[in-house]
Amino acid sequence: MNKYQLYRLLRKNENLKERRHPMFDKNRFMKFLLIFMWLYYAAILIFMGVTMAIGMKGAYNGVAAHHVLDGWFPIVLIVDFWVRFIMQDTPVNQAKPYTLLPIRRSFLMHVYLIRSGFSLGNLYWGFMLVPFGLIAIAVPFGWITFIGWLFGWWLLCIANGFSYLYVRTLLTKHMAWLILPIIIHGAILAAMILPEHNWLDMPCTVLLNAFANWKILFILAVIAVIAILYYANFLLQNSMVYNEIGKKEEVEVKNTAKMSYLNRYGQIGEYMKLEVRMKTRNKTPKMQFVMGIGFMLFFSLMMYFTDAYSGGFMKSFICLYNYIFLGVTTLIGIMCHEGNYIDGLMSRRESIYQLLRAKFYFNSFLLIIPPIIMLPLMISGKMSVWMNLGYLFFTVGVLYPILFQLAVYNKDTFPLNQKLTGKQGNATQQIISMVILFLPIGIEKLATLLLGDPWGYILLMSAGIIGVVTHKLWLKNIYQRFMVRRYTNMEGFRASRNS
Amino acid sequence: MNIIIQNLRKNFGEKVAVNIESFKINSGEILGLVGNNGAGKSTLFRLILDLIKADEGTVHMMDNTRDINVAETEEWKDWTGAYVDDSFLIDYLTPDEYFQFIARISGKEPEELQEFLDKFKHFMADEILGQKKFIRNLSAGNKQKVGIMAAMLLQPQILILDEPFNFLDPSSQSAIKHLLKKYNEETNATILVSSHNLQHTVDICPRIALLEHGIIIRDIDNKEGQAQAELEDYFQVTD
Repeated sequence: MNKYQLYRLLRKNENLKERRHPMFDKNRFMKFLLIFMWLYYAAILIFMGVTMAIGMKGAYNGVAAHHVLDGWFPIVLIVDFWVRFIMQDTPVNQAKPYTLLPIRRSFLMHVYLIRSGFSLGNLYWGFMLVPFGLIAIAVPFGWITFIGWLFGWWLLCIANGFSYLYVRTLLTKHMAWLILPIIIHGAILAAMILPEHNWLDMPCTVLLNAFANWKILFILAVIAVIAILYYANFLLQNSMVYNEIGKKEEVEVKNTAKMSYLNRYGQIGEYMKLEVRMKTRNKTPKMQFVMGIGFMLFFSLMMYFTDAYSGGFMKSFICLYNYIFLGVTTLIGIMCHEGNYIDGLMSRRESIYQLLRAKFYFNSFLLIIPPIIMLPLMISGKMSVWMNLGYLFFTVGVLYPILFQLAVYNKDTFPLNQKLTGKQGNATQQIISMVILFLPIGIEKLATLLLGDPWGYILLMSAGIIGVVTHKLWLKNIYQRFMVRRYTNMEGFRASRNS
Repeated sequence: MNIIIQNLRKNFGEKVAVNIESFKINSGEILGLVGNNGAGKSTLFRLILDLIKADEGTVHMMDNTRDINVAETEEWKDWTGAYVDDSFLIDYLTPDEYFQFIARISGKEPEELQEFLDKFKHFMADEILGQKKFIRNLSAGNKQKVGIMAAMLLQPQILILDEPFNFLDPSSQSAIKHLLKKYNEETNATILVSSHNLQHTVDICPRIALLEHGIIIRDIDNKEGQAQAELEDYFQVTD
């Protein structure tokens, strides 16, 4: 078999891996939803592209619309970078099944790196950029300029993809590497947002303008950067393959806190201990928690130090986001981590009910964190106490009950200690997360409009308190419905375990 | 506690996994379940434990005062202990924490747990308790031991163990045989054990069911150890 045939075979296997993923294998509806979500986000990007092209036209003292967008392109790349954590796997993981076969390791790395570079994912921003460019560049400046500009964006996305792969692979060595992109992206955002004028506006515009005008030196320079990133990835991924295969968790357990203060709560206390240990001893939940706190801090600091989010809607959004973020990231996949040991849980009487209660108490307790983080905003008057109280109670008493409904329907096991990519939520979960991010703001705005301030927040609080008071009832109901669906769910958990 | 199986059927697609018209496991009996790979042993256990849905039929647990269909209530979980595979283990706990967890949710006092653990001291061989290791970091054999012990921890009236001798070293295999026999004698519990190890099965099970393509094709009386020859003949293990 020559190298080209081998390349085709590996590519075929990757395609089969995606097509035969257990999540879709038995669930056509899920496949439909995923395609729907893919089209939904594409439609949003197209909409953004068109509205920005029209909105920016002549809005900034005669500056061409695409120069305005170009000046902010690092933000797009930062979003692109973090979204990749959900979508993109590393070559070192993809190559794992083949490492003991008679295939050169370096060849495997090249195959998967080239696939990453030419992945269709690098063209996804095209849904925004093509309509934008058609209106803002092709019509006034011509097709050649438009294609050059688009080509430049594509190269930047490829470079961004390789940067992501490098960081993602470093993260398998140690989670502390997450600080690297946080610092770099934080610095970039600070340089763009904190000064009166975006410091990066000029260099960014010059770079993309050079692409639009087909300045060969600039293009070669970016291609050289891609080549360097490619080679750096190649060296790193190549050196990591055997580390990944022989990877053994640090065996000595450091955290064996007995948490005896929870003993007084009997069975619930035991399940709460289980919840705490699950969050603190497994990479995936731990990472979700750290990222949640990171996002909360970031948005709260931005709001405190700048006027970037001073609008009414953004204030509400950030306040709500801070309250619900941890809940969304953990409860959207409720029971999915438990899928790893579901048979053990199901062998105990009413264990799922006790577990659900423990999860509710634990997640409610975590809501002590957002008001602490937002305390300076409340003291400085940038955010009202009513808003905080409204969203706090609404989260516990209304949004949590909505999220907990997923315990009835989730049936995919999430790995506890593997990569962040892959099973991080299906389309149903994404739809619910979107609903709960905007539903409370809508209710509050409507109530405030009709009743006046602070009645919107009082309404949210009241609804939340009802949910809290009746929590045993709705949790019992969820448990009973879970038991009705138990065979389907257990089958799903088993089928998706370790896959 | 008796286990009564009636018209129990489970198919995976076209493949018949379990097809048992009628079978009774008597209270206090140790039943060995043997069969080739794919014969349906684990599926039968999962059906008894209500972990998968039967296409047809029922499993009842019954004594003089109770008659419980396992698919209709969870009551039987109070007196049933089982270990089928490592999906029964919460692997981010240490064995100490796992035993404490099981004990506390089963209403056992710390003293009762300690007494239980003392009985298994020899079986654990200083490799399980106090090791500061998560279950996921234990060897396959030690995981197996944790699973078996957790199943026995609530002193069940029905104990179900799927291939309990797997991964265990010879002395632990011998130890678990003695522990199971002793447990049966002391508590009169009904014990179901599946195994590919004919010798161990014959040693501890006075009754052995031979499963083939989901059907119990032979119900062998082994009170005098007479099943050995019949099983060796079936599995063609003679030289």
